[in-house]
Amino acid sequence: MTTTRRDIFKFAGGSALGALLTPAPWRLITDTALWSENWPGIPRPARGEIRAKFTHCSLCPAGCAVRARCVGEQPVSLAGVRGGLCPFGVTGHQLPYHPARLRQGPVSEAMAAVADAIAKCGPGERVAVLDLRPGRTASWTARRAMAVLKNGWYIAPVQSPVAVDLTKARTVLSLSAPLLERWGTPANVFAVRDGFRLIQADPVESRTAALADLWLPIRPGSEEALALGLAGQLTSAETAAMTGLSEHQIESVGQTIGFGRLSLVIDRAMSPAVVALNVKLGGWGRTIVPRAEAPVPPEWKKAAPVTDLAAVPDRSIRVLLIDESAPGEYLPWDAIEKKLAAGNPLVVVFAWSANGYGRYAKYVLPTPVYPEATDDIPPAIDSPAPCFRIAAPLLAAPAGVVTPSEFIASLAGLPPADALRERARAIHQGGRGTLVTYADAKSVPVKEVKPDDFWKALNAGGCWVGQALPPANFRAPVGQALPPANPSQGLVVLATPPAPSPASPLFTKLYQESDLLLAPNCIALHPQDAARCGVSAGNRATLETPNGKWSVRILTDSSVRPGVVLAARPEMASASGKVVRV
Amino acid sequence: MNAQKKYGMSIDVDRCTGCGSCMVACAVENNIPPAHAGANDRNGLTWIRVYKVDNGEDYPGKRSAFIPVLCQQCGEHTPCASVCPQQAVDVDPRTGIVGQMPERCLGCRYCMAACPYHARYFNWWDPRWPAGMEKTLNPDVAPRMRGVVEKCNFCHGRWHAAKQKAAAAGKSEIEPGDYVPACVEACPTGAIRFGDLNDPSNDLRHPDSFRLLKKLGTDPKIYYRSKRDWVRNVAQASRPVSSQKEASHG
Ligand code: SF4
Ligand code: SF4
Ligand code: SF4
Repeated sequence: MTTTRRDIFKFAGGSALGALLTPAPWRLITDTALWSENWPGIPRPARGEIRAKFTHCSLCPAGCAVRARCVGEQPVSLAGVRGGLCPFGVTGHQLPYHPARLRQGPVSEAMAAVADAIAKCGPGERVAVLDLRPGRTASWTARRAMAVLKNGWYIAPVQSPVAVDLTKARTVLSLSAPLLERWGTPANVFAVRDGFRLIQADPVESRTAALADLWLPIRPGSEEALALGLAGQLTSAETAAMTGLSEHQIESVGQTIGFGRLSLVIDRAMSPAVVALNVKLGGWGRTIVPRAEAPVPPEWKKAAPVTDLAAVPDRSIRVLLIDESAPGEYLPWDAIEKKLAAGNPLVVVFAWSANGYGRYAKYVLPTPVYPEATDDIPPAIDSPAPCFRIAAPLLAAPAGVVTPSEFIASLAGLPPADALRERARAIHQGGRGTLVTYADAKSVPVKEVKPDDFWKALNAGGCWVGQALPPANFRAPVGQALPPANPSQGLVVLATPPAPSPASPLFTKLYQESDLLLAPNCIALHPQDAARCGVSAGNRATLETPNGKWSVRILTDSSVRPGVVLAARPEMASASGKVVRV
Repeated sequence: MNAQKKYGMSIDVDRCTGCGSCMVACAVENNIPPAHAGANDRNGLTWIRVYKVDNGEDYPGKRSAFIPVLCQQCGEHTPCASVCPQQAVDVDPRTGIVGQMPERCLGCRYCMAACPYHARYFNWWDPRWPAGMEKTLNPDVAPRMRGVVEKCNFCHGRWHAAKQKAAAAGKSEIEPGDYVPACVEACPTGAIRFGDLNDPSNDLRHPDSFRLLKKLGTDPKIYYRSKRDWVRNVAQASRPVSSQKEASHG
């Protein structure tokens, strides 16, 4: 038998076809898949002893208790102790590695420049600290330092003098307060959520409005008018005209929250009009109480008073030190700028990222970020009792960062001291309240704890809880009838609830890989408004407000009130904005 | 011999604020990287995704709800498992969990086409974290390579850890509190609950609950609840999205 060339081809072809029916090619593919799984470019998780550490989240005033899972010293996940954490808290351990993180800054140069500028302050010129998260022990240090400097001023956003007790409320009327979105401590709010009826008066169907028992779509900026109307300081007809609600709706809400019905009225900052309404409803001492602070050493009482930015004379600040190391309330830059002295004022910003006021400052000094920073978190708005809890660091801060309170204290020549420890000592000496420790879920009267053990427990994530003030000491602030805001020219830009910024890069899951959150560079408006502005979903546009211009991407959302633009960045909020297609 | 478990969830849509904690907690736990610059809602990796849905009306009649959707851990006729040519998908008879083995996955994506819940995700890019952030990776879960499919596995690494803990204590059963998926642990509102559906002491399969796309008969192990009729109706649509392509409130 002769073997022809054709036979060879037939054999080769048959073999190739036959091989496909054997496991060999599949094996090859599988092995390739396996090999590629171990591609050298894939990061390998670190190994080590797994342990739990406890701390408090300092990313917002809620100060949630946190259990960190650590591999060796490295936190790899964070969870709540008494309930879940918000997404900022869940991803907080990633912030030290954020691409926008600042690690180096001209610390000694800034120190020399500040000392020089203080020495050259003219008559009537001031050195001021602007603290975006007042009430911390670090805030007390800044106040003490400003008291030492004869022209020192301590400026902070106005804090509500009251706290709320949600456990006592049967009805909560929220005037655009994001109650279910970190307005209070999530664990406290959701633990009692089934115990009260929630009425949300809100210009947009916010997340809180979406889950409220009743949503009242009011005009933007008419929250205070509604409070005054319900307090009887405006007639139903006037209130209806200002809020856009019907008189019947207003009267029906008035009846629901009527006197003595354990009702609580809240707004974003518990303004005087809202406090006065609560008093009128009989809530004083029940659903609202005076906000109590943890004790401080007696010698700290000589601190500079807290001044509201609005009360600072224009063009009076020569040196301004802005502490935004702990995320807090946003104050518009133009309101700050007009307080600066003419002719080269010195602005120094302490921040962990370049996102905030740093762009307006001569020096931006890098600070530790949660969970590297050691800080305390004052009682949250829904904490009727005073408390003292420390955001104990889970990680060492990198060399090159500066702690704002230490920088400010050294300017005033305050002796270097561990202020947190001094305060813990003062609390312990007071002998009141209890120490709560999370690792063993125990609550022990402070009197039974030795001072060193008290300090150790606080640093291991413990919390001191004091006693609420007795009702006899209450003095209610008085609400004033303010004139209603002028009708807006153009679109009203509302910002979503304030959030720590920047957030972990994993937030891209929420606004890039899904549509759950509004991205920082996006605005949402009603489709009719979008059409009126000549834009549609996905377009690029410019948002123009008196505060500035931003390049944004458009999203349309028919749950946004016509006439309103929703933005994720607080600096975009404005009573009159314009959207221009680019 | 261990009693056979059937792990499942109950999700109360009326408690979900759409905060997204579950989504980021899942990414932290399962070493899912932040979005690649080119990623979007069609090709991103979100083992659990919270969809914003609405009643189809306009302001002020519009009402919204948030529905977290993850792998529904289909039971009897697991669509993804039946189409995988590599047997990279299987249903663990001890737990009822539909597992995904990226080591076996060819990246053919048949399973993605078969999954009626859009609960499977393809790795279009190499897994990358910003410099230094890889230190925060969970040591119990291996990052996956570009070119394979992945999905929710009820945090299987946690199940293994709970098993080990039980074994170390000389027990054959794990304590229910020792095995809780990351999304359940993270949810601040308590909207997601988890447990053994075979355990009569929990009410995960409450008679008022419903399952997504029930008509398909895939026997999902995720049970949803809502008192709102329109939410229950939306849950039967093939993809639970809002009536328009829209933003949610941040
Ligand atoms: S609510 Fe505030 S304190 Fe609590 S986890 Fe979130 S950011 Fe942290
Ligand atoms: S939901 Fe999709 S991925 Fe999950 S088991 Fe069912 S078919 Fe498979
Ligand atoms: S964590 Fe809970 S409330 Fe937040 S989106 Fe997920 S399921 Fe909803």
